[in-house]
Amino acid sequence: METLQYFLPQVWFVILALFLFLYVMLDGFDLGVGILSLTSSDDERRGILMTSLSNIWDANETWLVLMGGGLFGAFPLAYATILNALYIPIWVMIFGFIFRGVAFEFRELSRRKLFWNFAFGAGSFTAALGQGFALGAVLKGIKVDETGHFIGSTWDWFSLPSVLVALTLIQGYVLIGSTYLVWKTTGELQETHYKTAKLAAWTTLIGAVLITITTPIIYESARTKLFQQPLVYIFAVIPILGVLLIWQLLQSLNRKEERAPFVWTILLFVVSFFGLGLIVFPYIIPPQITIYEAAADPSSLVIMIIFIGFLIPVMLFYNLYQYIVFRGKVTGGSYGE
Amino acid sequence: MEFLSDSVVLSRMQFALTAIFHMLWPVLTTGMGIYLVIVEGIWLKTKNPDYYLHARFWAKFYVLNFGIGVATGIPMEFQFGTNWAPFSEAVGNFFGSVIGFEASWAFMLEAAFLGIMLFGWERVNPAIHYLSTILVAIGANLSTLWILTANSWMQTPAGGELVNGKFIVHDYFQAVLNPFMVNSVLHMFFATLETSLFVIGGISAWYILQKRHEAFFAKSLKIALAAAIAVAPLQIYIGHLSGEQVYHYQPTKLAAMEAQWESSPAGKPADWSLVAIPNEKAEKNDWEITIPNALGYILEFKQNLSQPLRGLKEWKPSDRPHMVGLIYYAFRVMIAIGFFFAGLMLLSTLQWLRGKLSSANISQQRWLMRAWVLAAPLGYIAVESGWIVRCVGRQPWTLYGQIRTVDAASQLPASNVVVSLSSFAIVYTVLFVAAMYFGSRIIRTGPNLELPIPGVEITKPAVDTTPGEFVPDERPVEAQQ
Repeated sequence: METLQYFLPQVWFVILALFLFLYVMLDGFDLGVGILSLTSSDDERRGILMTSLSNIWDANETWLVLMGGGLFGAFPLAYATILNALYIPIWVMIFGFIFRGVAFEFRELSRRKLFWNFAFGAGSFTAALGQGFALGAVLKGIKVDETGHFIGSTWDWFSLPSVLVALTLIQGYVLIGSTYLVWKTTGELQETHYKTAKLAAWTTLIGAVLITITTPIIYESARTKLFQQPLVYIFAVIPILGVLLIWQLLQSLNRKEERAPFVWTILLFVVSFFGLGLIVFPYIIPPQITIYEAAADPSSLVIMIIFIGFLIPVMLFYNLYQYIVFRGKVTGGSYGE
Repeated sequence: MEFLSDSVVLSRMQFALTAIFHMLWPVLTTGMGIYLVIVEGIWLKTKNPDYYLHARFWAKFYVLNFGIGVATGIPMEFQFGTNWAPFSEAVGNFFGSVIGFEASWAFMLEAAFLGIMLFGWERVNPAIHYLSTILVAIGANLSTLWILTANSWMQTPAGGELVNGKFIVHDYFQAVLNPFMVNSVLHMFFATLETSLFVIGGISAWYILQKRHEAFFAKSLKIALAAAIAVAPLQIYIGHLSGEQVYHYQPTKLAAMEAQWESSPAGKPADWSLVAIPNEKAEKNDWEITIPNALGYILEFKQNLSQPLRGLKEWKPSDRPHMVGLIYYAFRVMIAIGFFFAGLMLLSTLQWLRGKLSSANISQQRWLMRAWVLAAPLGYIAVESGWIVRCVGRQPWTLYGQIRTVDAASQLPASNVVVSLSSFAIVYTVLFVAAMYFGSRIIRTGPNLELPIPGVEITKPAVDTTPGEFVPDERPVEAQQ
C-alpha cells in the first residue's frame, strides 16, 4: 500500500505532464499561427493560415480539456486551489479561446471578415497571455495554508518574473507557429515565416536565458533544488542542450529546410518542458503541496488509469491518423465546402 | 443590488448563464450527429446523390453549432475549479474522474474525427468517411453519457460517503450507476435527438412553404418524421419514469415541481395542480386550478399514492428550493412541449399514410408545415426548462442532501466574479446573435446542389495531397490561386 501511494500519484503526474506537453506543442503552434495572423498583409494569407489549422485546432485544444479533467480527478486539491488562485489568468485564457474558436466558423460564413480576423488573432494572443501568466504564477508558487487551500490575494499571479515568463511563452508559440507554417506553406508566405521564425528563435532564446538566470536568484525554493546533488548536473545540461538546439534550428532555417525547423523547435519544447517539470516535481502546488498530498484516493487513481490510461495510445493513434490524412501543403484560403 | 457583493450568488448566476447558453449548441450537434449517420448511410446504400447533398447541407449547421459548443463548453469545465473549488476538492475522487472520462472518451473522439467528416470527403475512401461520421456521433453521445452520469450523481449521490468533507468512493460502479443515471442519460439522449429532428423538420418545412427544393426537403422532413415516430412517445415515457424517480429520491424537488405546500398521506388520492400562482412567503398557492385525484395516476398510474407525498412545509425554508414558481412552470412548459411534439408527429404520420406528404402534395399541407416551423425552437425551450427543474429544484444542495451550495462555492472577491459574469453576458449575447444571423444565412442560401458527388465525377482536391511530389510555386502567393 505504501508503495502504491507513491507510485500512483507519480504515474498520474507523468500522464498529466504528457497531456500538458502535447497540448503546449500542438495548440502551441495553433496559437502561434493565430498571433502571426495579426501581422498578415492581406486576407488571402490569413485565409491560408486559418486553413492550415481548421481541421486540427479542436483536437489540439482538447488535450488541455483532457489535462484539466485528469487533474480534477487525480489531484482534486490541486485543481481546486490552482484554478481558484489563478481566477483572472484562467478567464483571460478562456475568453481568448472563445474568440479564437468561434472565429473559425464565423469568419468563413461572414462577408466582412475584419472583425473575425481580429477575433482570431487577438483571441490567440490573449489565450497565450493567460497561459503565460498562469505558468509564471505556478513557478513562483501559490500561497496556501497547511491544508492546501489558497490564501493569497487575487493579483498574486502578476509580477515582473511572470511577465517575463508570459512574454517568453508567447515568443515560443510564435516560434513553433512560424516553423509549422514553414512546413505547411510555400512561396512568399513561407519566406515570410522563415524570417518570423528566425526572429522568434532569438527572442525566445533571450527570454529563456533571462528566466534561467533569474529563477534561482529570485526563488529560494528553486535555488535549493537546482544546486542539489546530483540534480545539478541535469540542470546544467538542460540550458546547454537548449542553446545547441536553437543553434541547430537557426542553421536549418538558414539552409531553408522545410521540416527540420519544426522538429528542432519541438525538441526545444521537450527540453524546456522537462526542465520545468523537474523544477516543479514532486510539488503540484509549489512550493508547499506535493503530489502525494493532493492526490485522489488510490482506488480512484487506479480506476482512472483503467478508464483513461489505455485510451492514451488510441487517442495518439487517431490524432496522428488525422495529420496523415491532411498531410501536404496548404494552398487554398477557403476551408468551407 | 445586494447580490453584487455576494460571490456565491454571482457564481451561481455565472454557472446558470454559461450552462443555459452552452446547452443550446451541443443539444443540436448530439442529435444531428445521428441524423448525419442516417443520411450518409442511406446515400451509401442507395447511391442517390440527394442524400449526399443532405449530409453536406446539414453538416453546415453541425459545424457552426459544434464550434460554439466547444467555445462555450470549455468554461463549464474550468468553472468547477475557479468558482466551486471546495466542491471540486470534496468530490474530485468521483466527479473529477468522470469529467476526465468525458474528455478522453467523448470529446477527443468527436473533435479528432470531425475534421475528416467535414473536410475529408476527397481525402479518404467512403467507408473511412462513414466510419468518421459514426465516430463523431458516438463521441457526441458519449459526452451525454458522462456528463449526465456526473450530474445524476449530484442528484442521487451513491457509491461512497463523505468522510471529513471529502467524498470517498467505496464502489465505483455503484456511483456511476447511481439511481438517476440510466433514465437521465436516456431522457437527455432522446431530448437531443427530438430537438434536432424537429429543427431539421422545421427548417425543411420552411423550404417547402417557400416552395424551394420541395422534393429535396420532403426527404429530410420524412426522415425526421420517421425517427420522431419512435422518439416522441418514448421520450414521454422516459420523462414519466424520471418524474417517478424524483418522487422517490428528491421529495423537496417534487414538492416544488407540483407546488405542493401541504403533505398528502400514503394510501389516499391527491389532487394535481394544473395552473397555480405559488406564493413562497405565504407558503401556499394564491390561486390554482386542480384536477381532483389525478396525482396518483400521474405518478403511479393508480388512484392512491403508495408513499406519502411530502409538502414543502415539512422542511425549513432553508432546506427547500426557492423560486417554486419557476420550477413549477418550467416543468409544465417541458411537458406541454413533449405532448405537442407527440401530437404533431401523430398528425403528420396520419397525413403521410394518406399520401399527403408525397413531394407533389406536400406543399399543399400549409398548416402542417407551419406547425413544423413553429416546432423548430420548442425543443430548446423544453431542454432548458427541464434543466431548470433539475438543477434549480436540487437547491439548496449542490450534492443533494450532502453538500450545500453555499459551502460549495469558492471564497472569491465579488468584483472578480462581477467582471467575469458580465463579460460572459456580453460575449454570449454576441455569440447568440451571430449564430442566429449566420444560421439564418445558411438557411437563406440553401443547399449547394452543384456539389460534385464523390466517386461519380472526378473532383479536383482543394488541397494538394502529395507532399513528396510537390513543386514549389515560384509566383507570389497572391497570384497562385
